[in-house]
Amino acid sequence: MPFTITLPAPLSPLHHNEPSDSPSLDSDGDTDMPPPSKRPKLSTRSIVTPGETVTDDPQWMRGHGTYTHPTSPQILSSVAGTLLKTNKLLSIRPLRARYTPEIGDLVVGRVVEVQTKRWKVDLSAPLLAHLPLSAINLPGGILRKRTSTDELAIRTFFGEGDLLVAEVQSVYQDGAASLHTRSLKYGKLRNGVFLSVSGTGGGGGGVVRSRRQVWTVQTANGGGEVDVVLGVNGYIWICKHVGGELVEGKGGRHAGAGMGVNNLEEKVGEGMYENRNESIGEETRWEIARLSGCVRALVEGGCRVDEEMVMRAYEASVEDEGVGGEEGEEGGEYLGGERGRRVVREALRAVHAARE
Amino acid sequence: MAPPPTPLSPSELSYLHTSLSLHPPIRPDARSPTSFRPLVAETDLLPAANGSARLCFADGTEAIAGVKAEVEKVQGLGNVRWYDNMDAEMGGIEESERDGEQEGERGKGVGEDKWIEVTVDMPGQRDDDAMVVFLAQMIHEGLVADGGLKNRLVINARWHWRLYIDILLLSPPHTYPLPLLSLTTHLALLSTRLPAPISNHDEDPLFNDDWDASSPLYPSSDTYPDAKTPPQSSPARPPITLLVISVGDNVFFDASREELAVADAVLAVTVGAPSSPSTGLNLLAVRTIDPPSRLSASAAEVGRAGAEIDAEGGKEGVWKASKGGMKRRVLARMVQMCVEGGGVGEEVLGGLGEFS
Repeated sequence: MPFTITLPAPLSPLHHNEPSDSPSLDSDGDTDMPPPSKRPKLSTRSIVTPGETVTDDPQWMRGHGTYTHPTSPQILSSVAGTLLKTNKLLSIRPLRARYTPEIGDLVVGRVVEVQTKRWKVDLSAPLLAHLPLSAINLPGGILRKRTSTDELAIRTFFGEGDLLVAEVQSVYQDGAASLHTRSLKYGKLRNGVFLSVSGTGGGGGGVVRSRRQVWTVQTANGGGEVDVVLGVNGYIWICKHVGGELVEGKGGRHAGAGMGVNNLEEKVGEGMYENRNESIGEETRWEIARLSGCVRALVEGGCRVDEEMVMRAYEASVEDEGVGGEEGEEGGEYLGGERGRRVVREALRAVHAARE
Repeated sequence: MAPPPTPLSPSELSYLHTSLSLHPPIRPDARSPTSFRPLVAETDLLPAANGSARLCFADGTEAIAGVKAEVEKVQGLGNVRWYDNMDAEMGGIEESERDGEQEGERGKGVGEDKWIEVTVDMPGQRDDDAMVVFLAQMIHEGLVADGGLKNRLVINARWHWRLYIDILLLSPPHTYPLPLLSLTTHLALLSTRLPAPISNHDEDPLFNDDWDASSPLYPSSDTYPDAKTPPQSSPARPPITLLVISVGDNVFFDASREELAVADAVLAVTVGAPSSPSTGLNLLAVRTIDPPSRLSASAAEVGRAGAEIDAEGGKEGVWKASKGGMKRRVLARMVQMCVEGGGVGEEVLGGLGEFS
């Protein structure tokens, strides 16, 4: 990869919102409006900035992303984003937003703080999430009650900086989430790399909610099986697949399908909270690097990140490597710049082809 | 002020460190050790400055540098200068020599370090914050160590230019921002233009109002990697500072935040363009930077353990901050890769030169 510098991409010409004479806003009232449709209309051609007056017509109602002054009928934008109109409701869809937790979301988080009975976990949400000690699988059996010994040994489960995959159990009034890891699917993350992309909430690319978020990739070039965990909050974990047959005392995750409640207890061994990595082969490491490169390229290309897109991009990058090798391109498998864009184009084409 | 970044988890650190110490190393984004991520840059964006540049690194950090020039009277040393001139005027041969020199160069005379002032501004940091002051000092040090820049600021025996270089880091510093600031300064200096003088040598300087007649501070006629230029010219490029890290025996350039976190040693190497081509670059300064791994929890444990020496590498799959200094062989390689002909330093200088 030679040292490259490019000029910044030119901005597409933006039309500023002019509420008074913008045809889309139609301040005359209902007379010449088309029949109201239930689907929200998104005007893509205008971007409003925080503090900008969206309209001063009192007929509109204010929705998300807007605010008003008590003295004036103006509606102002509180975020930077595109205007969304649903009948008479004005809301602004932010260009970039932090993740807003919802119950049932699968998230990847990083422990920021350890308190006496709980951990504070960073989810890239506006507030840190809580993970109570009572909401994790304690070693020695899932049904064990937590004791004061566990409280004293809280750092043996998770310490600062540790990554974990969890589910949002409840959301407090202020928007902070409470997590739990009471399933063998959840727990501490090891053997891989962490990526942070934009999650749901903002426009553009990012992880999409309500699709399969954990899957295993059979990688090319003898890389073996690699797990991908897409947290809804935009945190992504790509690691070597460990498991199948579980060794006693080793990781409690990726348990086989024949797991029942009865033999559950012995599976949740001490190894669940181990910090030590398995031995990971070079081929696997290359494929993990390639997968994370694919995800980065997808985000840079403004695409959504889900199982289909990641897999298509991965296939495209494996094929592209052959092409690049013939052309004598150097720089290994770095999926940045022009090569990343090519892979994303290829992936999008494959997705469209599969739809038709 | 932004909170300090959360540390990486022990398993992540172990994974990264092992991947980076392999032969060949596997970087998390599959780059080759010496390759740089694509940069985005533009120059001449500030209308009121003599030269300016904006540079964005691939990790999203971004900086703007502006160069302003001011005419100033030489402080002190007036008598010495006066005698110098007398000598030159009395000896006809010398004068013709001097004219000859002025054909190729802007002027004769030796500049002073204090004619260049560098200020770094970082969001959320006080002006007298140690890091800000230290960064500004390091950039200033590189610029004056070259000698080429300050000599260019001489107008005549009594007048000189004073350069104010203001660097603004736009993004919070995810990684150590020194290379970003240095490369931005380099581009800004390359785009700097000084007004054309209309006064004679020793008169009080008067300048042409016409900006089109201005001359660049670094004339592009003797473009750097062009080997055909006669080697008589003095350095035609401002120096740059590169951040080099080592993990095990491997040496990496343009390290991402994750790579920096597991670096055994971090070096800031300042190189300048040579006076004659194809001999490699001039080494101007080398500074060691405390790697972040020394601040991590595992390093603190190592420090406490004191004399206790465990086996090399410790347990497999667990990372420990390296103890002791760096090997001389690695240090030599790191510097060598920056300065050697056809090395990384030349590549970067060439890329920057082509851009502006």
